[in-house]
Amino acid sequence: MEIDSATNGNSDAVMTESSATITSSPVVVPASRSNQFTESLKLEHQLLRVPFEHYKKTIRTNHRSFEKEVSTVVNGVGELADSDWSKDVTVSRLTSLVTRLQGLKRKLEEGSNVENLQAQRCRARIDHLDSVDVENITEWNNTKLKRILVDYMLRMSYFETATKLSESSNILDLVDIDIFREAKKVIDALKNREVASALAWCADNKTRLKKSKSKFEFQLRLQEFIELVRVDTAESYQKAIQYARKHLASWGATHMNELQHVLATLAFKSTTECLKYKVLFEPQQWDVLVDQFKKEFCKLYGMTMEPLLNIYLQAGLSALKTPYPSNSIKFDVFNCLFSASENKVAESNFSKRHPNVIFTGGLRLYLDMSQIWF
Amino acid sequence: MDVTGTVTVRDAFDRVSKKQKLYHSVTQDVIDLVCDGIQDTLTRIQLGNDDGVEPESVLTELRRKLDALLPIIQLQKSHKETKWSLSKLVKLLEVSYHPDISLACFSVDFDINLVNKILIHHCYREGLFDVGDCLVKEAGREEETEVRSQFLEFHQIVDSLKLRNIEPAMRWIFANRGKLKQKSSKLEFKLLSLKYCDILREGKSDDALEYARTHFTQYPLHFKEIQKLITCLLWIGNFEKSPYAEIVSLSCWDKVTKELIMEYHHLLDQPINSPLKVALSAGYESLPSLLKLVHLMALTKQEWQAMKQLPVPLELGNEYKFHSAFVCPVSRDQSSEENPPMQLPCGHVISKQSMMRLSKNCAFRTFKCPYCPAETLASACRQLYF
Repeated sequence: MEIDSATNGNSDAVMTESSATITSSPVVVPASRSNQFTESLKLEHQLLRVPFEHYKKTIRTNHRSFEKEVSTVVNGVGELADSDWSKDVTVSRLTSLVTRLQGLKRKLEEGSNVENLQAQRCRARIDHLDSVDVENITEWNNTKLKRILVDYMLRMSYFETATKLSESSNILDLVDIDIFREAKKVIDALKNREVASALAWCADNKTRLKKSKSKFEFQLRLQEFIELVRVDTAESYQKAIQYARKHLASWGATHMNELQHVLATLAFKSTTECLKYKVLFEPQQWDVLVDQFKKEFCKLYGMTMEPLLNIYLQAGLSALKTPYPSNSIKFDVFNCLFSASENKVAESNFSKRHPNVIFTGGLRLYLDMSQIWF
Repeated sequence: MDVTGTVTVRDAFDRVSKKQKLYHSVTQDVIDLVCDGIQDTLTRIQLGNDDGVEPESVLTELRRKLDALLPIIQLQKSHKETKWSLSKLVKLLEVSYHPDISLACFSVDFDINLVNKILIHHCYREGLFDVGDCLVKEAGREEETEVRSQFLEFHQIVDSLKLRNIEPAMRWIFANRGKLKQKSSKLEFKLLSLKYCDILREGKSDDALEYARTHFTQYPLHFKEIQKLITCLLWIGNFEKSPYAEIVSLSCWDKVTKELIMEYHHLLDQPINSPLKVALSAGYESLPSLLKLVHLMALTKQEWQAMKQLPVPLELGNEYKFHSAFVCPVSRDQSSEENPPMQLPCGHVISKQSMMRLSKNCAFRTFKCPYCPAETLASACRQLYF
C-alpha cells in the first residue's frame, strides 16, 4: 500500500517526497487500516492515565489543605467565643485568622494554576491521540517511537538524555519526566537505606494504598525495626520495642505471621547464623523494598511495570518472520551475546509451519535485520 | 478513523475540569465569606465599646453563623461532584483502553547493554547526535565512534544535498570509488548532471557548456546520458515543451538522494531503515492481536508464559516481509539451510528431503513428480536459490 511503502524508505533525512506521495494518492482507506488505528490507540492507556492520576492527586491535596485550614479557622473562632480573653487579645487573634485566610486564598490560587497546567497536559494528550490520521500516520508513529524511547530512558534513570530527546522532538507534554523524578528521589533514599521519603510517599497516598490493600508501609516499618535491632545495644533494643509498639502493632491484625517472624529477630541478633533470620539482615532486603516501591508506584499511576520498549519490541520480534542468518560469522556473534539455554529455546521455536519465533533471545533478530537489504 | 473513543474521554475530562473550576470559584467565595464575617466581627468589637456590645456575644453570633455554613464551607457537595466525575473518567479510561498491555510480555531478561547499544545506534542513525552522546554518557557505555562518524557523514551529505550542494557527496564518492565501481554505480555522474541541470534551469547556456566540458569528459561510458543533457541546451528557457522535461526537473534531486542513501547503506552493510523502528512498528501492529490471544488463552485457562510457540501466525503488512519463504507442498516444511528447495526438470519445486524420500535416496532411481506425471531422477534436480 502506498502509505506504508513510504514508511519503508523514510528516514528523518528523506524529506518531502514521502509526504508528497501520501497526500497525492487518493485517500481511500480500507476498513482494515482504520481498524488498525483504533486498535493501536487502544493501547495508549498509560499515556492518558498517568497525567489524570497526577491531576487527581493535586486536586485531592489542594482540597485537603483547604479543608484543614478552614476548619482550623472556624475552630479558632469557636475557641475565642468560648474563652474569655480580653478585647485586645481577641482582636489580635481575629486579625491573625484573617491573615491566615488571605494566605490560604493565595495558596489556593497557586494550587489552581498548577491544576490548570496539569489539565492542559491531559488535554494535550487527548488531542494528540485524536490527531492520528491516515495522512500523518508515519509522523505519528515516529512520535510514538520517541515516546517509547523516553519512557525507557526514564525508567533507567537516564534523565538528561530523556529531557534532551523530549525537548528536541517537542514531546514534553507527552512524557512524564517529573513523575519519574519524584520516584527516583524515593528510590535513591531507599538505596541509601533511609525510609523517610518512602514513608512520606506512603502518607501522601494513604487512601489509594489502603484501597489496594498494599503492605508496603508495613514492610518499610519492618525494615526500620530491623535496622534498630541491628545496632545491638540495650538502648537500641528498647527503641526497637517502642517502635514496634507504636508502628507495627496496628498491622498485626492483618499480617500477624510476618510480624512475629520479624519480631523474633529481637531474640536472634544481627549476627545470627540461623538462615531464617539471617536473610532478614541482608542488604538485599533494601533491593526488595526498591522493587516493591516500583511496583506500587506503577500501579498507582496506571503504568506498566515493564518499559514500553520491551513490550513493543517483544511483540514486534515475535511477529516478524525472518530465517536464521545464513552467514555463520553472524551466528557466532549471536551465540556469544546470549546464553546457551536461550539459544536452545529460540532454536526449538523457530520451526516449520509457523515461523513466529517467541521472543526469548529475539534480540538476535536485530542482528538478522542488519543482513536485510530492503 | 474512529474518533468515538477519545470523544467520550474528552467529554468526561471536560466535565471534570468544569466541575473543578466551579469548585475553585466556590472556594474563593467561601473564603471571602468567612473572611468578611470575621472582619465584620472585628470591626464591631473594635467599635463595640461605645455601643456597649459585649465582644463575647458578637463572637458567639459569628460562631453560630459559621456553624450554619459549615457544610458549604467544607465544600462537601462541590468536591464530591469533582471526585465523582474523576472516578467516572478513570473507569472510562479502563474501558476504552486496554488497562495493561504488559500482559502480552514474556518474562525474559533483556540484556541491558545490548538494548542500550541498539538505542545508541538508532539515535545516531536518526541524526540525534547529542541525544546519542548523552545516552552513551549516562549508560556508561564505551563510545561508538565508528558508527557515529559514519552516520554523521551520512547526515552531512544528505543535508547538503537538500541544499543542492554536492560537495560532501562527491567527497564520499571519491573516497569509495573502488567499491562503488564494483557495484557499477552511476552516482558520480548523476550528481554532476544534477548540477548541470541546475545551471540549465538558470538559463546560462555558456556556463552549462563550460561545466559539461570540464566534468563530463571523464565519463565516456555515459555517453547516452551526455547526449541527452547536451541536447537539452536547445530548449533553454522552455523545458516543459522539450522531451527532456523530466531529466531537467527538480524531482531528480529527490531520486538521486534516495539512490545515494541506498548505496551509502549498502556500502556500510547496514539496513536503510533503523531496525529498531521496523521492529517497533511491527510491534504496534501485532500487539493488539497478541493481547487478544492472551485474553483468549486466559479464558481457556492456558498459561501464557508457558507457551513455547504461538498457536496462530501474526499477520503483518507486506512491508514486513523481507525474505521469500518456501514451504514444501509435500511435507509442509519450510525450507532451510539443510533442506533447500529443489527444482525438478518439469519445473515444479519441492524440498530436498521430500525429494530424497520420493527417490528412496537412490541417485539412479526414477520417481514421479507429485504435480505432473513426469518421471525424473534425483540427480537431475537443481537447488533453487532466492
